Amino acid sequence: MSLTLYHGEPNGPSFTVLAALFAKEVPAQLTYIDLAHGERHDLPWAADAQVAMSVEGEGPVLVAGGEAMTDSVFLACYLDDVGQGIALRPADAYGRWETMTWCRQMIERTAPAAAFLGCRAYPPQADAARLARMASTDLRARWELIARGEFPEAHVMDSRAKIAQAAERIEARLEGRSWLMGSLSIADLESYAWLAGMVALVPEAFAGRLRLEQWLERVRTHPAVARALALTRSGDPRASWSVGPEINRWG
Amino acid sequence: MHDITLYHWEPNANSGKPMLALMEKGVPFNSHYLDLLNFDQHKSDYLAINPQGTIPAMVHGKRVLTESTAIMEYVDESFPGPKLMPENPRDRWRVRWWMKLMDQWLAPSFSMIGWNVFVGPAVRKRDPAELEAAVQRIPLPERRTAWRKAISGRFSDEEMSESQRRVALGIRMLEDELGRREWLASPQYSLADVDGFNLAYALPLSQPKLSNDELTPNILRWLRAIYARPATKACWAMGRTDMVKRVKILEQPHIAGGGA
Repeated sequence: MSLTLYHGEPNGPSFTVLAALFAKEVPAQLTYIDLAHGERHDLPWAADAQVAMSVEGEGPVLVAGGEAMTDSVFLACYLDDVGQGIALRPADAYGRWETMTWCRQMIERTAPAAAFLGCRAYPPQADAARLARMASTDLRARWELIARGEFPEAHVMDSRAKIAQAAERIEARLEGRSWLMGSLSIADLESYAWLAGMVALVPEAFAGRLRLEQWLERVRTHPAVARALALTRSGDPRASWSVGPEINRWG
Repeated sequence: MHDITLYHWEPNANSGKPMLALMEKGVPFNSHYLDLLNFDQHKSDYLAINPQGTIPAMVHGKRVLTESTAIMEYVDESFPGPKLMPENPRDRWRVRWWMKLMDQWLAPSFSMIGWNVFVGPAVRKRDPAELEAAVQRIPLPERRTAWRKAISGRFSDEEMSESQRRVALGIRMLEDELGRREWLASPQYSLADVDGFNLAYALPLSQPKLSNDELTPNILRWLRAIYARPATKACWAMGRTDMVKRVKILEQPHIAGGGA
């Protein structure tokens, strides 16, 4: 089955999927789209529920057998299922539970915070025609808040705290191990995806965390990751952000 | 005594997901009921098992597992019985996609409405000092905020109308998807259906103007088909509150539009 991946800069969700694709040696046509300008909304599948309503926000789209698929962790699971390369999840059910639980924490707590801070530092911009085409009202609302420069201080503080919590968690997890789950896994990719760009924006979260620093370098130089990062067009993917998952509505 | 102990509240939302998955698989487990409305999940004996104080939690041998959707995948992989994740990788992706949409986008809106009309009023009858002490024991700051909002009824009109908008849209999305296939996310009954039933079993009662046999025939067909499964019947029979007895609405052969 032929696969086409529409991806943005190798940061955030596009990073996870590109690195997984290369680690799994899955042949696919790669098509670059500018997620930071909302180009995903020009795709023929933009109005499909599974693209328009992706909880992840502006992530990559993998088209397989005519079906447009989204959400980076689950795309990585799909690639892990169909690819031939190294396994990206542990072989045992408990290790797989740990991986999915780890990723859920990243998706739900870290990703919204990182996307919020990333978009505050490097605001994405979509023109009025693309905004009008967005099928998801709440996604469009997040774009509009960014366009108006509305970044409430309470969310800034909370997001910085969430990045610090993720950094602390990774530092603790890496005691006595090189990778979060034994060998390079979807958990490493998803964690790197959201945190690599936070080193410059929330430096205090990373200060003095030697294991975290070494792990970031270990992930960055993994051959599959290096291939993904080499696809950057901007020169520094860590400075490229688009609208991410929403911050928990419950406060 | 079984090898598995499940700490859960009612067969509803997150607690009901691993309960129903275990029962579908025919896996016996020790049921440890925690009364959410009595804050049992924040008491020291349970915090010794799950320091985050969230429910459900499952103990398998010496291991403690949390996060209801991840627990369901673990249960499906670890035990014999009917497979609840499809074999086809794209179907597996679709199952996970729908579970995430329901868990992270739709369920919070359902629960904001549910807490406003059910949980908040139920606990508000208690002594305020006792309630505050219970909230202080909640380990996760997000849950403390949520409980304070529920207890005080401090959801704004804007929050409630946004939740209602999402519920209405989510119902349309479910109806459309269930118009494409018998089950929600794959050709076979899957964890997405288990997840979805826990979210939507009382839909024709809670949202009668949005979900009934005239407006959402596919949702009603789907809910009745899941309710007809022996595991579902046995699971919902474990419920203790009136909230879960709402499932009996699905015994009605026809639910007309405009209210039940």
